[in-house]
Formats: sequence, C-alpha cells, structure tokens
Amino acid sequence: MKHLFILAAGVALALSGRAAERTLTIGLVAKSQGNPVFQAARVGAIDAAKELGAKHGYEIKIDWRTPNEEDAQKQAEAIEQLVLSGAAGISVSCSDANKLTDAINSAVKNGVPVATFDSDAPASARFVTYGVDDIECGKQTMEELAKIMKGKGVVAILAGNQNAPNLQKRVQGAKLVAAQYPGITIREVYYHKETPQDAAAKVEQVMQANPDITGWCMIGGWPLFTDNALKWAPGTVQCVSVDALPAQLAYIRSGHVPVLLAQQCYEWGHRTVELLFEKIVLKKDPPAVKEISALIPVTKDNVEAFAKNWDKWLPK
Amino acid sequence: MLTQIKKLFGVKEGGLLLVIFALGALLSFFSGTVRLPVFAVGPEGVRQRVFLTNETGERVPAMVEKNKFLNTQNLAQLAKDTSFIAIMAVGMSVVIIAGGIDLSVGSIYALASVLGALVLQYYGPGGAGANAPPWCGVGLGALACVGVAALCGLINGSLIVALRVHPFIITLGAMAILRGVAFVVTKGQSVGGFPPLFRELIRFETSGGLSLVPLAVMLLVLVVGGGFLSRLAAGRRVYAIGGNELASRFSGIRVERVKLGIYFLSGLAAGVAALIALGYYGSASSGDGQGYELNVIAAAVVGGASLTGGKGTALGAVLGALIIQMISSGIVILGIDQNYSQIIIGSVVIAAVVLDNINTWLAQRRLAAR
Repeated sequence: MKHLFILAAGVALALSGRAAERTLTIGLVAKSQGNPVFQAARVGAIDAAKELGAKHGYEIKIDWRTPNEEDAQKQAEAIEQLVLSGAAGISVSCSDANKLTDAINSAVKNGVPVATFDSDAPASARFVTYGVDDIECGKQTMEELAKIMKGKGVVAILAGNQNAPNLQKRVQGAKLVAAQYPGITIREVYYHKETPQDAAAKVEQVMQANPDITGWCMIGGWPLFTDNALKWAPGTVQCVSVDALPAQLAYIRSGHVPVLLAQQCYEWGHRTVELLFEKIVLKKDPPAVKEISALIPVTKDNVEAFAKNWDKWLPK
Repeated sequence: MLTQIKKLFGVKEGGLLLVIFALGALLSFFSGTVRLPVFAVGPEGVRQRVFLTNETGERVPAMVEKNKFLNTQNLAQLAKDTSFIAIMAVGMSVVIIAGGIDLSVGSIYALASVLGALVLQYYGPGGAGANAPPWCGVGLGALACVGVAALCGLINGSLIVALRVHPFIITLGAMAILRGVAFVVTKGQSVGGFPPLFRELIRFETSGGLSLVPLAVMLLVLVVGGGFLSRLAAGRRVYAIGGNELASRFSGIRVERVKLGIYFLSGLAAGVAALIALGYYGSASSGDGQGYELNVIAAAVVGGASLTGGKGTALGAVLGALIIQMISSGIVILGIDQNYSQIIIGSVVIAAVVLDNINTWLAQRRLAAR
C-alpha cells in the first residue's frame, strides 16, 4: 500500500507540469490535422524547437492544437486555451481571419506574441506573417499552365475550401493571368471538401461532365494525394498544381503533371518558431511584418533531388 | 452535508454530476500551475496589465501563479466554449425526447450566422446603414439570425409532418440545402464588420476580464428548456410522443402540432447559439458549424437523452456538453499530445454514459427496494 502511495505521488508530481527554469511552450494551430502540409509544418516547428533549444539552452515544447477538420471557431478556442495554459507564443494558420482576429488580439494583450503562417489575419495584432503571396501563387500556377498549354484551351480551377481567404486570393491571381491569354477559357472554379478523396472525386465528376477541359489549374494539390486522380493519358490534359508532397511527386514521374509548385510548408513551422523565439527570448523583432516564402518549381529534372527533402520533413 | 450529497446524486443527472466533479478534481490535481499576467482597471477605467520594477530597475510585467484548471479565467473560458453546443443540445434534446432527430442544426447555425452577419454588416461601421441608430442594426441583425433559424426549424417540421418522411431524411437534405444557401448568399466570403455595440454587448467583460454573456445565455436557455419540458403540459406531450406515438395520438395529443413545435425549438436554439457566436467571434462564413450536429447529438445523448425517445432533460444536455468540453480543454491543460485526443474523448464519452446508466440502475433499485 505504501509503495502504491509513493508511486501515485511520483506520477502526480510528474504530471503536475511544473516547468523547469528555462522552458517555454509554443502553441502551433494549423488549419486541419489531416492535411499533410500541416504535418510538415509541425515537424518543422519541432525541429526548430530542438535546434534553438540546443543552441540557447532552452527546453522548447511545441503544443500542437489543430482542429480535426477546418473550423475557425475551434482555432479561436485553441488560441484562448493556449494562452490560459501558459504558452509563451503561438503560431497559427487562420481558417477565417475575421473570426481569429479577436482571439489573436486577446493573446497579444495577455503578453503572448502571435505569428501567422500560410493564411494570415492582417487586421490582427500578430507581429509577423510567413508564407507565399497568395495572389502571386495563383498567378504563377496559371502562368506555368498557360505556358504548357501554349496559351489556348479550356481550364478548370480546383480551389478547395470556398471559405479560405488565401485560396480565394489564389483564384483571383489565377484569373488575372488567364485574362491575359485570349485563347484560354476558364470553365469554372470548383470547390470541394479538402480531403484527397473528395478532391479526386470532384476532378472525376468535372471531367465526366466537361470532357473538353484541356487543363487543370490546381491552386492546392489535394487530389494528387491519391494515386489515381488523373484518369487520362499523360499529356492529353495538362495540369499544374501547388504543393509537392511525396504522393504528388508520382504524378511528375508519370508525366501527368509537368510542374508542381512547392510551398515551403516545413518552413511554416520552422521559421515561425524561429521568429517567435527571437521575439520572446532574444527580444528581436523581424525586419518586416510580412515574410514571403517563394514557391519552388518541381519538374522531372529536379524531382528526385526534391523528394529527398521529405525524408526530413515528414513525421517519422 | 452527507444527506445533501446523497440528494444531489439521487437526481436524474447525478451520474453526470459525479463525472463532472471527478473530471474537475483530476484536472485540478494534475494540471499544475501557470503564470498569468496581472491586470487592473486603470484610472481611465480601462483594464490594463500591471507592471513592477525589479531589483535592476527594469520594468517587468507582474505575473501571478495559478492552478491551470481551477482559475476563474479558465472556468469562464470553459463555460463560454461549452455554451454554443450546450444551447443547441437543449433544442436537440427536445427533438430526441420526442423520438426525432435533427441533422440540420449545424447548417441552420451557419445560415442563421451568415444572414444575421449580413444584416449586422449593413449597419456596421463600413455598411450603407452605418448612420442608423446602433440599437436598430443590432435588433434587426439579432432578429434575422434567430428568426431565420426558427423558420428553418419550422420548415423542417412542416416537411416531416406533411410528407410523413423520417426526420433523418428531411433534416439530412436540409443540412445540405441550408449550407448551400449560406454559400450562395456569401459567395464563400467571411462576413464581418458589425456595429461595435453588438460586439460590446456579447463580449462584455466583468472587471476581472471574464466574458460571461455566453454563460448567462446558456443558463437562460437551460431554465427555459428545463421549465418547458418539466413544468408545462406541452413539454409532457413531448415525452408522451417519444414514449409511444400511437398511444399519444389515441389519447388525443395533436402529434403533428407537437412535432412542428419541437423542430421549431431546435432551430430557435441553433439561432440563439449562432447569435452568441456571431457577437463573440465577430464574423460568419458558410463553413461555420460543420460537424456540429454530431457534437450536439453527442452532448444530448451523453446527457441522458435516449435515441429511441421518451427520455432526456435540458439539464442533462447542458451537462453532456460540459463533459465533452471539459475533456477537450483538459487535453490542452494537461499537455496531452493531440494525436490521442479523439481516442480520449470517445472513451470518456462512453465511460460517462456507462456511469450515468449505472447510477440510474442503482436509483431504480433503491426505488424498488422501498
């Protein structure tokens, strides 16, 4: 009985969460658990925590609080809970900027700095945002597609969640470029639930109903996470997509997709943790509020070299 | 004291209360402490952070160490996070008690949110009606939000009664249609920019910085819902229909009228939840409330509502929502890896229902022994 009591007391002490002197917790709130790009961001954040911890003698914990599916209200609740549970800083990708602005402002008011990545909340008090310029991303995707299609054809835009402001900007960018090519017609912008199966099903449905489509501008690469999303012979319908995760690289190798534009999703986590650490511990502000990360084109020429990065970037 | 405790656990929801106390005790014990900034109301009446001067003359923010779970801010946060689902769960309980189901509450919540938001935006600082009296915009926005939700509920009820189709099918269809309407209306954009009066009303903070309006509304809905089910003849008819619809019909209850009423109430509750969320979070989009129907049904069922009808209470629904939220918040407070959160939530929900059933069984045994 006595041993049991000592064991229980030991467990209680271990779980009591008393932090050591030089420890800090950084909350990471991405849009959804199931999306591999956010898992890469999580690995990036954990790696940055290890590197910075070793360099500066800190124990940095990454507290991952991401809704299972996109839900801005749940994200706002997660931010509020992280503040109350003592997080020193928070990095967030906003599903709905308007809905998260108050939660971010409240965190900042409570002395918890907030960085955003991938999808920003521009009206909030976040001290930095890291990610692609979404309008430029849409433009670049359509530009690559237009080049491959030699400036003519019928294009479908695949756009994921209709409520995500960053995706809407990418659609806007893609349309701006398409307007410069008189030979290109945009058939429609197709939205879908952001799961690979839903996205692949949407592509299939659209192609059934519109067999004249000759190009796909995927401003997010959801269907390419499945292995049989593009049911046509390579080269008959062109496709350019944002993101270049391991499953998507197979479409480059098969010739179905000539160009993938890789977002630096590992860096979303890595860089924002660096920026937060600098702000919290080193009391250093970033040179600018907006830090743009470039899209990396992945083609048949560099696909194998790029693929090696994922050994490091994905959770083991 | 012992008698009071016995009385407490003798009530229908005694098992749920036991689970809540046990969870609260565990979280308080294992959560550890957190250092939170100190705030005080300044001379201008504005709540601001307190700063101290340390030994080196440096101005540093004052901090206070508190239990991570058992502190007023965290409990207010827990109540706020619970309130949206709990309000809808009271409405859902009424439907479930009558032997029905409403899968469209999440979509009603979304449509009510966006339509209310559009009206509020019109009267907001950047809207065409910015010059109208603020109370006018707030009143119309609230009316649009709650009214649309109640109307959607009424339409659901009418279709179920008129077409004699199972509510599962009608509300499943409504779930897709209403979310689609919300998307068409907003074109997928987030709608914000409301009159400041509306935000200030819902986000009103006490001098301690606690946002208690969602909690107050939840309690109000609980009192009204509880009173309706247990004190009014109309509420007893809901139980009667859920227990045996045919017998109720033969005993002269107008079953169709009651059914219309329960879906109206479910819609109304979704509208009230949407209105509070609208004011608290400050925007709405057609993606709001996705999957909430399952959370709301789970809260009602954990709270003791029987999916076969005839059983359940408003208090049980609120306690069910509170248990689910406590587990969810507890995972953050204890710093448990989120990868395991769904497994933990699912397990505790089942354990809570089992414990509640054991308590009910024990109560029935005690009653039989008398």
